Amino acid sequence: MSDRVVITGLGVISALGTNVEGNLDALLHERSGIGPITVLPTRHRGSIPVAEVHLDDDALAALAAPRAVRSWTRTALLGLRAVKEALAHAGIDPAAQRTAFISATTAGGIDKTEPIYDQYFLPEIPDEAAQYLGTHDPGDHAQRIAAELGFRDLVTTISTACSSSANALMLGDRLLRHGLTDVAVVGGTDALCKFTVNGFNSLLILDREPCRPFDRDRAGLNLGEAAAYLVLETEARARARGADVLAVVSGYANTNEAFHATASSPDGTGAYEAMRQALAMARLAPEAISYVNVHGTGTPNNDASEGIALNRLFHGAVPPFSSTKSFTGHTLGAAGAVEAVYAVLAIRHGVHFANLRWRTPLNEAPLVPVTRTRRDVAVRHVLSSSFGFGGNNTSLVLSAPEARP
Amino acid sequence: MKRPVYIREASAIGPQPVFDTDRLEQVAAYTTHPLNAVVPELRRYVDPVRGRRMEKVARIGLGTALNALDRAGGAAPEAIIVGTGLGCMESTERFFVPLLHNNEDVPNPTAFIQSTHNNVAGQIALATRCTGYNYTYLHRGISFTSALLDGWMQVGLEGRATVLVGGAESITPDYYLVQRRSGIWKQHDVPNLEVLRATDGGALCGEGAAFFVLGDTPGPGTAVRVVDVDISYRGGAETLRDRVQAFLQRNGLSTDRIDLLMTGRNGDGPQDGAYAPMEADLPQATHAAYKHLCGEFFTANAFGLWLLWSGLRTGHLPAEAVLRSGSAAPRWGLLVDHFQRTDHSLVLLERIGP
Repeated sequence: MSDRVVITGLGVISALGTNVEGNLDALLHERSGIGPITVLPTRHRGSIPVAEVHLDDDALAALAAPRAVRSWTRTALLGLRAVKEALAHAGIDPAAQRTAFISATTAGGIDKTEPIYDQYFLPEIPDEAAQYLGTHDPGDHAQRIAAELGFRDLVTTISTACSSSANALMLGDRLLRHGLTDVAVVGGTDALCKFTVNGFNSLLILDREPCRPFDRDRAGLNLGEAAAYLVLETEARARARGADVLAVVSGYANTNEAFHATASSPDGTGAYEAMRQALAMARLAPEAISYVNVHGTGTPNNDASEGIALNRLFHGAVPPFSSTKSFTGHTLGAAGAVEAVYAVLAIRHGVHFANLRWRTPLNEAPLVPVTRTRRDVAVRHVLSSSFGFGGNNTSLVLSAPEARP
Repeated sequence: MKRPVYIREASAIGPQPVFDTDRLEQVAAYTTHPLNAVVPELRRYVDPVRGRRMEKVARIGLGTALNALDRAGGAAPEAIIVGTGLGCMESTERFFVPLLHNNEDVPNPTAFIQSTHNNVAGQIALATRCTGYNYTYLHRGISFTSALLDGWMQVGLEGRATVLVGGAESITPDYYLVQRRSGIWKQHDVPNLEVLRATDGGALCGEGAAFFVLGDTPGPGTAVRVVDVDISYRGGAETLRDRVQAFLQRNGLSTDRIDLLMTGRNGDGPQDGAYAPMEADLPQATHAAYKHLCGEFFTANAFGLWLLWSGLRTGHLPAEAVLRSGSAAPRWGLLVDHFQRTDHSLVLLERIGP
C-alpha cells in the first residue's frame, strides 16, 4: 500500500458564493442559491428557477482575472476562479513540481457558442465571434486554465455526465498512488447555458419551484452553475512541506449500470454498487459513515432508486444524510467536486448540512434527511455520491485525518 | 506491483481499409479533404435499426469496440474507457441549431440524450453488459491517450485482467467549417499522400475510431505490450525532445534501441518542425507517419497506435507510411504525437517473442 492521498486545498464558486468561505456561510445559515434566472439570456426567465452565479460574464472575468480576457468562456472563467482559490489555499505553484490538472465538464464552452454560432458562417466573422472559434470543445477550459496558471504535465478533461468531477478526483488519487504525479488538482466546472436548460426541460425533469430532494412530492431538479477544485497530494509530501491536511481520500468506486441511456435502474443497483465498492475500498463498515452527501437531484427516478440503495447498504439504519443540491441546484459536471468540497467542510467544521424544503418521506424508501443544518457534530467519514445520466455512478469516501491514523 | 500490459487485439475504422484486420495493405489515396471514415458493414455488431438512429461516431466507436473484443476471443471487459475530442457533435448540432433558430423551441429530447459526451462508452457498456468502470475523456489531442493511460494503470498497476480502451471522432460539415476558420485545416485541397511535403500551415481533416483490448496476458498471435504512456502540455520542440529522452530513460532504454518511430506529422509545415530534433536522436529507427493516411483529428493518435501495433505485430507497414527505412523486425516502437503543439503524447510498445 503506497502512501495515502490527502486534500490540502479547496476552491469553489457557486450560487452560494464566489469562494469557500461564502459557500460555507450560506450552508451554515441555510441560504439557498436557487432563484429566478437573472444572467442567462433565455426565454425561460421567470418560469424556471436555477442556481446562478450572480455575476455577468464581464464581472466574472474581473473576478477570475485572467491575464487577457479574450476567448474565455463562462465555463473557463468559473473554473479559473476556483482553481486559483484551491492553489492559493494549498500554497501550490503548479510549475514547481509534477502537477496534474484533471478537470471535468459537461457543457464545455457551449455557453459562448450559443450567442455567436451563426456568425461563424458569415463571409467575414466579426472579431467578437472569432475569438470563440476554438472554444466549444470540453477540453478548451482546462487547456486555457492550464496555460494561465503554468501547468505543464498531464492536463486532461473527463466528461461522464453528473459524475464527471467525482471521477476527476478518482483519477487524481490513482495517479498519486502510483507515483505518476506529485500533486493533482482535480475538479470540474459547468456554466448554465441554453443547451442544458432546454435539454433538461425537454426531459420534463425540471421543477418549476425550488427542488425538494428526497421528498415524496418532489417534482424534479433545478440546474445550477459552479466550479470546484481540490488539491491532492500524498500525505508524506503534504507533511514534509508543512501543509494543512484537510481530509483523506479513503475510497471510491465508479460503476456503470448498463441499464438505460438516461434513467437509473428502479431498484438502485448501480447506486448501491458504487457505494458498496467505495466503502470496501475504504475498508469501512457502513456504520462507520458519519454523514452522507447524497446525489439527491430531486427527480422522482433518482431519489427513489437512491433511497432504496441507501436502505439496502445501511440495512435500514441510514446515517444523517442530505442533498446540498437543495442549495446549489444540480451543477452537473461540477457537482461531484462541489460536494467533495462540502464533504471536507463538513469534516473540518463538524456540520451536517440541511436538506432544504423537505416535508414528507418517500414512498419507496421512507427516509428522513437532515432538515436543519446541525453544528458541533463529529464528522469522521463522509460518503458523497454522484450518479450520472446513463447510470454512470461514482461514490467517494472522504475522512478526517485523525479518523484514519 | 507492476505487471505487463498487453494489447490483446485491436480494431480500427477510418479513411483507410483497416477494419477487422491487423495490417494495412492497400492504402487509399484522397485528393480532397476532409478524409471521411469509410464505414464497413457492421450488422454483426450494431443492430441496423438502432444503427440508423445512431450518429457516425457512435456507430464506428461501437463497431470497432465490439470487433476488437470479438477478435480477442469474445473477451468481456471489466472497464470501458473512451477518448473523444468532440463527442457526439452531430446530435449536439441536431438539438442546438433548432434551439437557437426557433426561440428555444425544441422538438423532443432524443438528440439531447444522444449528445451526452459519454454516449459511446455507455453504448458499449449496454452492448457488453459491462457494469464496471466507465470513463470518457474529452481533451483535444490527448483524449485517446488519456484513456490509454487510464487503461494501462488499470491493468498494469491495479490488477484488472481485461480493459477496453479506444478513441472515436467524427466530423460534421458545420464543425469542419468552424475548425477550418480557426485555422487548423488547410484552406485548399492537397492529395493526402503528398501532404507531408507541404510547408504551409494547416492539416487535412480526418475522422475515425480505434479500440484496443488491453490485458494482463497476451492474446493469440504475436504479443505486443504497452510499456509506458506519457502525456504533457505545451513546450516547444526542445521540450518534446527532452520529454522523449526522459521517457526512454525512465524505461531503461537508450535512443538507439528504438526500431520503429511513429510520429504525428500531418503536413502542417511549421508544426511538423516540432518533431525534427527528436527524430534526429533516433537515426537508426524506421521513421513512419500516419496522419496523412487518416487525416488529423482529436483522436487520430488512436489510429497511430493501431498502425504502430500493426507494424510491430506483423512486421509490415505500407510503403506510404514509411518516411525512412531503418531496422527490420522491429521490437521497440515509439509513438510521438502532438496536436497543435500543445497536447503531447508518448507511447512505448514492445513486441514480445519472434
